[in-house]
Amino acid sequence: MAVQTTTTAGTTQAAPRRLLLEVLHDWVTTVDHKKIGLMYIGYALFFLVVAGCQALLMRIQLAVPNNHFVSPQTFDSLFTMHGTTMVFFVGMPILFGFGNYLVPLMIGARDMAFPRLNAFSFWISAFGGMLLYFSYFGASGLYGAGSAPDVGWFAYAPLTAQIFSPGHSTDYWTLAILLSGIGNIGTALNIVATTICMRCPGMKLNRMPLLVWLYLVTSCLAFVTISPLTAAQIMLMLDRYVGSHFFDTQAGGSAVLWMHFFWIFGHPEVYILVLPAFAFANEIIPVFSRKAIFGYPAMVAASVGIGFISLSVWAHHMFTVGLGPGPNTFFTLATMVIAVPTGIKIFNWLATIWGGKIHFTVAMMFATGFLFQFLIAGLTGIMLSVAPFDWQLGNSYFVVAHFHYVLVGAILFMIFSAFYYWFPKMSGRMLSERLGKWHFWIFLIGFHLTFDFMHVPGLLGMPRRIYTYEADRGWMIWNMIVSSGAVFQAVATLLFVYNMVWSYFKGPIAGPDPWDAWTLEWSTASPPPAYNFAEVPTVESRRPLWDIKHPEDPDSRYE
Amino acid sequence: MSQTAVIPQTANEAWILPSRGVVGMACLIVAESAIFTIFVVAYLYYLGRDQRGPTPRQVLDLPLFTSICLLSSSLTVHLAVAALHRGRRHACSLWLAATVLLGSIFLGGTAHEWYTLIYRDGLTIQTNLFGTTFYSLVGLHATHVLVGLAMLSLALVFSLNGSMSAKHTGRLEVLSLYWHFVDAVWVVVFTVVYVLGR
Amino acid sequence: MHDDATHGQGNSVLLPRPTAWPMALALGLSLIFAGMVTNVAVAALGLAMTLAACVGWFRQVLPHEAHVPVAVIAEEVEIASARTLIQRPQRSASAAPRKVLPVETFLIGNGIRGGIAGGLAMTVPAGIFSVLKYHSFWYAINLLAAGGFVDWASASNAFLCQFHLQGLLAALVIHGLTSLLVGLLYGAMLPMFPRYPIVTAGFMAPLLMTGIMFSALNILSPILNQRIDWPWFILSQIAFGLVCGYVVNLHAKVRTPQFQALSFAERAGLHSNLVELDGSQADPSQTGVQRGTQPGTKNGDKEDGAL
Ligand code: HEM
Ligand SMILES: [Cu+2]
Repeated sequence: MAVQTTTTAGTTQAAPRRLLLEVLHDWVTTVDHKKIGLMYIGYALFFLVVAGCQALLMRIQLAVPNNHFVSPQTFDSLFTMHGTTMVFFVGMPILFGFGNYLVPLMIGARDMAFPRLNAFSFWISAFGGMLLYFSYFGASGLYGAGSAPDVGWFAYAPLTAQIFSPGHSTDYWTLAILLSGIGNIGTALNIVATTICMRCPGMKLNRMPLLVWLYLVTSCLAFVTISPLTAAQIMLMLDRYVGSHFFDTQAGGSAVLWMHFFWIFGHPEVYILVLPAFAFANEIIPVFSRKAIFGYPAMVAASVGIGFISLSVWAHHMFTVGLGPGPNTFFTLATMVIAVPTGIKIFNWLATIWGGKIHFTVAMMFATGFLFQFLIAGLTGIMLSVAPFDWQLGNSYFVVAHFHYVLVGAILFMIFSAFYYWFPKMSGRMLSERLGKWHFWIFLIGFHLTFDFMHVPGLLGMPRRIYTYEADRGWMIWNMIVSSGAVFQAVATLLFVYNMVWSYFKGPIAGPDPWDAWTLEWSTASPPPAYNFAEVPTVESRRPLWDIKHPEDPDSRYE
Repeated sequence: MSQTAVIPQTANEAWILPSRGVVGMACLIVAESAIFTIFVVAYLYYLGRDQRGPTPRQVLDLPLFTSICLLSSSLTVHLAVAALHRGRRHACSLWLAATVLLGSIFLGGTAHEWYTLIYRDGLTIQTNLFGTTFYSLVGLHATHVLVGLAMLSLALVFSLNGSMSAKHTGRLEVLSLYWHFVDAVWVVVFTVVYVLGR
Repeated sequence: MHDDATHGQGNSVLLPRPTAWPMALALGLSLIFAGMVTNVAVAALGLAMTLAACVGWFRQVLPHEAHVPVAVIAEEVEIASARTLIQRPQRSASAAPRKVLPVETFLIGNGIRGGIAGGLAMTVPAGIFSVLKYHSFWYAINLLAAGGFVDWASASNAFLCQFHLQGLLAALVIHGLTSLLVGLLYGAMLPMFPRYPIVTAGFMAPLLMTGIMFSALNILSPILNQRIDWPWFILSQIAFGLVCGYVVNLHAKVRTPQFQALSFAERAGLHSNLVELDGSQADPSQTGVQRGTQPGTKNGDKEDGAL
């Protein structure tokens, strides 16, 4: 994200030549939650482009059979780096970035509970990402040739053992994730402490915007999710550096234990990624339907419920290991149970839209796409949660299609939506709606071309992480379609980036409240001053700005 | 003046929220507990799966004395906080010193235990699964004790040179929460490793 | 926390002072980590940096947290809806200017109770079917349980007609859980249509049940899919729905917070201009609350049970 001068009194018109250094100094030393949020977002967008390019390379490789566009070794590191980057250095930071920016504003606070810890968390995650990419130069120790990690984003044992992955490429993976994990725990801790301890007067828990509730759940989930991963990574480090035997199958260690540890992290992690997307939907859908969210208590309960249930389903990633009938049944049922709170959420969003006066701004269009696509992704998820079905399709492109439907169709769509909605607050200028509509439609077409059709080669038996394939398998046409969709998505994303840059300089001035919205962040200037609110606000209902705009009919009478 | 969403509150109730230090520490404790849980699970999972010795039964002794020292340091740190709260700075220094001493005895005990295990019994982290899981679990806990001791010593130094006063009670209390947590973890580790595991 | 004097002198606000130490600490730790994959010298540099940063950070917060005053810039932010331009038809002061819906509804717990009762009721037609067609009560139970036991997929009819304890337990768990969850889902949806629980349940619950459980069971349990008898199946579903709705309807409705917003006359009679409001719709952008759902209280009749 482009650099923006602040409204802080100190930084008024310095000499233009010193400005760059000064601005840089400002950003490096800042402890302001808004700037840290923006840095998180900017850094995530950078890695989004990087990992997106890796995806394009992989799709070129797979577009036609018997292709040798990249070498098999490169292909392995491509999918490893793509997955790791997208989860740890795009998904987490972008969501925490929005959380950092929005949570204090929405609860009427002036900053996070621990501003310096906040800066520390950001920087350590950022350095983690840099360390990961430094592996391209230094993975066999500084003097050898570089090579990136190539063990897959879940790095199953014993592939990670010293014998099977010599050099340091796997260590780069572990260390980078450890660093980002420290940052994530720090930020999660900060968000929890902020929501609990920094709310403005009157902002009781049952008046908090749903976004804040969801960030609270996400952050609590992070404690019990990221920490097991950290523990497992420490064990892996011990194995690789001092020769212990946690995952060393030669000495009685268990490879399956790693799988358990990884997925105890891995499944809740996907919910950590999707809950903030829900959070955006909870704010955006009501505003553009011109109605209050339907069933606020049910939404909160469903979010907390999802948080708890998601802790008990991890082994649905391990059906093909052969867990036995007992665990299979348990994890199948537990996975299906998640559909209930998820269903409640979808019904409530529909009920919010139902009968509303819908404004189809670009943000709302992306949100609508999200609703529809999340539903489908959930359905393929339920199909995969059935053990016998999974035996057939586990590790196939069907799984890849399922989770990209969630990650792109739901999460990325909602992130785009959030950009169109909050960009005016962050920059003071509106994004172009005309370009935004192009962005939406091209991306929608690209998305469906890629990921709808990706289910088919999966059903036809195409395994994931395959380097190339024979022409007579019948996968060719499908892969061609899938790859061509990727081009659409790339073009749309470029359009989006262009839109952001153009609008940052030339977009129409937004004013404090361009959407006629109801939560506190719209009650202050755009972009907000360093202190957020000149006077700490006081609220009496879930929609404080509605109360101000309609003093004759405030929400507080109904809650 | 930027007008913010101010609605005159009807009842002028006091608006009191929990202390952020305590909440932050509670979060940290939850996260740390999850890490320990994974290590404990690994310990239990590999217990008795070794093909070759030494086994826990052969080499482990109950570290009763040092455990008692560590657990009683929970009491002394609590007394230190209470003393500081009441403004009795000398008593606070005394209790902090006692805490540091007790914690150091525990660490010394662990060091001695490891020394005998390595040089008498030939058990290292590379020897077998027991060595792997034992050293990592107990070592992880010892690391936490070490960090806690470093911070307690710092507090002791400040208390001795008089720069700690009653208004720092909140911060010392957060530190004491951490120390209680370290002790609680030891109860679990002790039960798993020395009682159930032998 | 709005403690330690966030308000500075005059027209300024105290904010934490910017500092680079957190960044230095992060860099130091990262360098230590990087040292593990490159060279110890890097780690040594990292260690030095970490120690320095710890001291620096410490002095930011102790003995006093470092603050800087930031001047508040005078700036008028006007908060008004962009959409209040249309004059709304004047109403009596007491009339709720928006549709306030629903005024009364059922508790979510009632949905769960309904689910349990419905689950019990469902066993009756299923049992009858089982006895009539296969002369064994256990057939239906084992069929359901086969979802949990993959190796039962190829079991013979005779096998399914015998009593198996694990079959009974598995079926109990599956059936109980599903009934509970359908009840829960139904309970959560009740506020959307609080008026005729028996109809909605008799219609909705079978829909949900079929949707959630048995669409999945097609894949989960091929055995069930093969042998299922659809007419009987639908019959059991309807039994579930009707009983579920009946049980829900037994419970008293509770008043939603919206109730307090009604005028006294309306609260006393509960049948006033809410109906009229329905027709004379104001600018839709003004309606803050659930438009589109039916007013819970059209006529006084719903107290004595719809249907
Ligand atoms: C209703 C909800 C969902 C259900 C029932 C579900 C079910 C499943 C199942 C059973 C698998 C394992 C497939 C296999 O490996 O054979 C899976 C994989 C996966 N799911 Fe979902 N899922 C759901 C929602 C989500 C969400 C919300 C996300 C992400 C935000 C997600 C992301 C993933 C990912 C990343 C994988 C693949 C991991 C890998 O193998 O690399 N899923 N899902
Ligand atoms: Cu999963």
